[in-house]
Order: sequence, then C-alpha cells, then structure tokens
Amino acid sequence: MRLLVVEDDPLLLHSLREGLREENYAVDTATDGATGLEMALEIDFDAIVLDGMLPELDGWDVLGRLRAAKATPVLMLTARDGVPDRIRGLDAGADDYLTKPFDFDELLARLRALIRRNRGQPSNRILLGDLVLDLSTRTLGRGTDPIPLTPREYALVEYLALHRGSVVSRIVLYEHLFDESDDTLSNLLDVHVSNIRKKVRPDFITTRRGHGYCIE
Amino acid sequence: MKLPFHSIRWRLQLWHALISLSLIVAVCLLAYRMAAEERQRQIDRSLFGFERFFFRQLFLEAAERKDDSPPKSAELRSALLALRDADPLPARFRGVFDAGEPYLGFWDSDGTLLFLSPNAPPGLRKPTFAPDDDLELVTSGHLRELHHRHGPGIALAVGRDMGDELAALGRFRLFLALGGGGLLLAALAGGWWLAGRALKPIDAISHTANRIAAGNLDERIAIAESDSELDQLARILNDTFGRLADAVERQKRFTADASHELRTPLTIILSETQRGLKREREPADYQQLLSHCQTAAQRMRGLVDSLLILAREDQPDDRCTRVPCDLAEIANRLADRMEPLAAGHGTLIHRKLQPAPIDGDPELLDTLVQNLLSNALSHPPPGTAVTIRTGVRDDRVELEVHDAGPGIPPEHLPKIFDRFYRIDRARTQGSGHSGLGLAIVRSIADSSGGTIEVESSPGQGTRFRVRFPRSRNGERGQNRTL
Repeated sequence: MRLLVVEDDPLLLHSLREGLREENYAVDTATDGATGLEMALEIDFDAIVLDGMLPELDGWDVLGRLRAAKATPVLMLTARDGVPDRIRGLDAGADDYLTKPFDFDELLARLRALIRRNRGQPSNRILLGDLVLDLSTRTLGRGTDPIPLTPREYALVEYLALHRGSVVSRIVLYEHLFDESDDTLSNLLDVHVSNIRKKVRPDFITTRRGHGYCIE
Repeated sequence: MKLPFHSIRWRLQLWHALISLSLIVAVCLLAYRMAAEERQRQIDRSLFGFERFFFRQLFLEAAERKDDSPPKSAELRSALLALRDADPLPARFRGVFDAGEPYLGFWDSDGTLLFLSPNAPPGLRKPTFAPDDDLELVTSGHLRELHHRHGPGIALAVGRDMGDELAALGRFRLFLALGGGGLLLAALAGGWWLAGRALKPIDAISHTANRIAAGNLDERIAIAESDSELDQLARILNDTFGRLADAVERQKRFTADASHELRTPLTIILSETQRGLKREREPADYQQLLSHCQTAAQRMRGLVDSLLILAREDQPDDRCTRVPCDLAEIANRLADRMEPLAAGHGTLIHRKLQPAPIDGDPELLDTLVQNLLSNALSHPPPGTAVTIRTGVRDDRVELEVHDAGPGIPPEHLPKIFDRFYRIDRARTQGSGHSGLGLAIVRSIADSSGGTIEVESSPGQGTRFRVRFPRSRNGERGQNRTL
C-alpha cells in the first residue's frame, strides 16, 4: 500500500514516515500543501494523511482541489479539536480525521480501515479459499497455521487480495508497493511472486502474460 | 425575586408618596386654618357690630338729643333698666333678639343683672375680667362671646351660636380630606407610571446584560438616538461589553493557539516512543528516537516558558521590580551570549552602544533583547549583518536591532507582534520558534512603559526600535551596573 503524508513539521513527518514504513507501507512525503496536492494528483495513493495547517495551501484547500479530480481516501490530522475544524474537514471530503496528539496505533488502524473500505471490503478478514488474510494482524493463514511471509510478500498478497478477481498490472503493483525512495529492480516482483507461490501453493497467484497478476 | 421595597421603582414610589402626602397635608391644613380663622373673624366682627348696633338703638333718642359723646355709666344703667322693664320691647328692638341672632347681657359692678336678651342661653353669667383688660373674646363650646367692660361698673357679654359655621367648617374639612386623598392617589398613580417609564430602559439594559452574562457575548444594548443619561450609560456599557468580548475572544484564540502549538511536539513524542517500542532496534536507532523526543520536549519547554512570561506580563501588578539599569550593558551582555548563534549563522553582531539608563526589570529586559537578537539572527538568510544600538534621543532611551536582510513583506508588518503569528510557518516550524518571541518583546516593552515600532523595506532591511522613558535616577544606574 502506498501512502502520501503531508505534514509541515519535519520531526513529525520523519516520525510518521518511518513508523509507516516499518508497517510496510510505501510512504511518500510532502511538507507543504501545494507539493502535496501535486503529488496526490499525479500518483494513485491508497490513502493520504493530510495535516490541516500547512503552508502555501492549507489542508482543507488541498482536499477541496483534490476532490475535484480524485476520490483517494484522506485522513485529516487536525491540531484543534474544535468541532468546526472537524466539520470543515469532513465537509471538504475527508474520509476520517484524527486530532493531535494521537496514538500511532490508532492512526494505523484508521488507515487500514480507510483502505479496506475504499476497496469495498467490510471486514478485516478476507477469505481466499481455504486461506484467511487478516488485515489487522497482517498475517496469512491456513486454518490455524500461519504461513510465514516477508513484509513485502505480505504487502503484495494484501494488495492483490483487496483487488481480488481483477488483474493488477506490474506497473500498478510497483506504484503501490514501492515509494519514490525505493530503487527496486524490475524483476524483484517476479521473485516475490514465485516465493509466495512456493510458500502457499503454485496456483495462489495467477499470471496473465502481458497483463499482470491476479488472485482469483 | 428581589424584595419589592428594594427595587428603585418602589423606593421612588415611597419617597414620592411621602413628599406628596406631606405637601397635600400641609396645603389642606393651611387652607382649613385660613378658612377657620376667616370665619372666626367674621363672627367677631359681627359681635362688635351687634354691640355697636345695640348701643345705637339703645341711645337712639339720646343721640338725637345730644352729640356723639359716649354715654355715661349712669345713663347706660338707666337705659338698660328701662329696656329690661319695657314690655313689650320698643319697636326698634323687635326682632333683634330672635332665636339664632346674637344675644347679650349686662351686669352691674355688684353682679346684678341689668339686662338680659330673651334669646340668651340659660346659665349666662357675668363675665370676669383680668384687672387691666376691658375687652375679651371667648369661645365656650359652640358659643362665641365678646366680653366688654364699660367704664368702672357695667360689664356686658355679646355672644352668638357658631353651630352653623362649625358645621360648614366640618363640611369643608371633609371636602379637604376627600380632595387631598384623591389628589394623593392621583399623584401616586402618576408617580408609579412615571417611575416605570423612566426605569424601562434600565430593565432593557439589565435584560441585555443578563443575556451577555449568560454567554451571549455578541449581544448589545439597543441605543436610542437621543442622548439621555441612560443612553450614555448604555453606550458606556456597550463599549465595556465590546472590550470584554474582545478580551474573551483573544483569550480563547490564545488558548487554542497555545494548545495547538503544544499538540505537535506532543504528537512527535507519542509517535516516536510508540514507534520505538514496537520492536527491538539498534542502539543508533534508539539514540535517534530519543533525540527526536528531546527536540520535541525542548520545543515544549520553550513554548511553556514563553507562555509563562506572557501570562505574567498579562497580569497587571506592581510586583515587577524596577531598578535603575543600563540598557547598553544588557545589550552588550546579550550580544556576547548570542555570539555563538551569530557565528553559526555566519555573521557578527555589530554593537553601537551608548549609555542608556532606564528603570526596568533586568531579567525582562534580558528576554526582550535576547528575543530581538534571536529574531534578527534566525529569520534573514545566513550572513546577514545584524546591528544592535542603544542610546538616548529626545530624552527617551532607545534600543535598536537592525538586520540588513530582505525585509518583512508589508502585509505582515501589522501582525508580527501578534501571538503565534508567523510569517513563514514552514521555514520556522521545526526551528523551535513558537511565534511568541515578538509578542513577548511587545508585552515587556508595554509593561516597562516603553513603545516598540518596526520599519522594514526591501533595500533597508528590518529595524526594531524600542523606546523607554529615561531613568529618573539619572546616570546613577549606569555607574551601578558597569
């Protein structure tokens, strides 16, 4: 999953970026509203974490302009817990909001829920045949036996599972699993897919030549 | 509900009633007294007249015969005795002593009755006189009598019944009482109405004030076009409410801003610690996490310090210790202290320090100078020359901090002393500047009796100038601190 974090405080931005990366999100960052908006329009992020008070263009303006073009899920961070700020954010098209200071785990849970709901997935547990993918614990299991996956492998399975039944192109996968700081080799995706197939079963992920990958 | 007699309307009414009552009673009493006295005088005149009339009748023949000399006692005695014995009375006395007309009696000096009119009340006695008094008017019951002594011997009493007059006076009294009572009621009703009318605007004012007190700070008292005392009061109250609302609004904004400023470093600390505790890490990672937390905590400390200074400055008290000190000396010390920061910024602090004796709190003045210097050293690009100047001009002590930077855009100038106002939020956010530095400078300048102004233009850089009243202790402060 690829996220955009727009926050003007360098320390907080750093903390959020590192924290989210450790949770296997691909994270891009922007320190002002204008840059954030530009990036959000250019790249299809799975979710955006947007601070309200930003230089250049404040969070609400960014949201207003983004919503004119895209429906990317947005979680607003507000420093004032005044009701008007929240109403303003939600009215401008925010999907959720968090008031600073917040718990990092709550941010994670809300992001998971945002992404899941955006894919029309009501529950954190996705059944894939005899397999269960648990979004909250970030595990794949058969019955009670967990299948050990590396974070990247899990992220790939999660993305395909959330787009279950549709073919996801390699480019889209790259876009959503790696952020701008990743220098990934183009065949790395194939390595991950083949490793997952070995660990789960050979036909878990099907390959459509020239199109991409798919979980049926 | 208040006790009714504590309300202004009731008290006005009470006073009004008292004054009206005493006025009406006084007027009625006066009228009655005058009427009563006038009646009395009429009666008395009629008694004198009757006496004269009787004598004229008695001596009718004698008068024709003689001159106007008063009759002798002997003549009088004989005339009276003749009249007493005449039966019937001579024609000229016929009808004179009918019932209801004045009566009269004459007595000799030895007490013998000389003449008594037929209509005299029973028990009429010879009047007694004080030794040197020959004439006396006496009221007994409803009878009014004139007692008169003629010459050495003969005493007479003329009297009449005052019953009719007393009854008339009684009626007059009743009329006065009823009329006065009516008048009082009318005055009270009028007063009540008038007081209510006069107090109506006060009611409106108190209702509005109540609504404002209940939290509706935008409410104002409606003011009529006129300029009555109450309108003036309403205007003053409206001004006060306006200032109160402003103060509350400022306080609210300040609190919101302060909490907003504290939230970000708190978020950093929470986020970093939670991230750090999620898994085992390398020592270098932990060090980085801790240093981030430290930075955030230091930011909070700086903010809390600033807030405390502002809160203290907001309290108008006289605990502030003002001692004579020299601003030049303070500026010199602070410039020394800020030298490392200036070096880090690739510049020097130029000093043009002339003695500047003022009365102030040295600690606060330290903060003021430090904030101005730190402002000049952190906002313009590195390498920008910074000058600090002190001196006396026009009997005012001046402190100037100038930087030759690009200047402050004019649209920001009016707001730079506002709390939490930042020209470029992005650039200053992480650097520990809370947006309170200049607000603190202004607050300290205000509390020290000084003024602050800023000049900024693209070519000239930015100049902050603080002016203070000169120390009353002359140059002594300079000697003391140096």
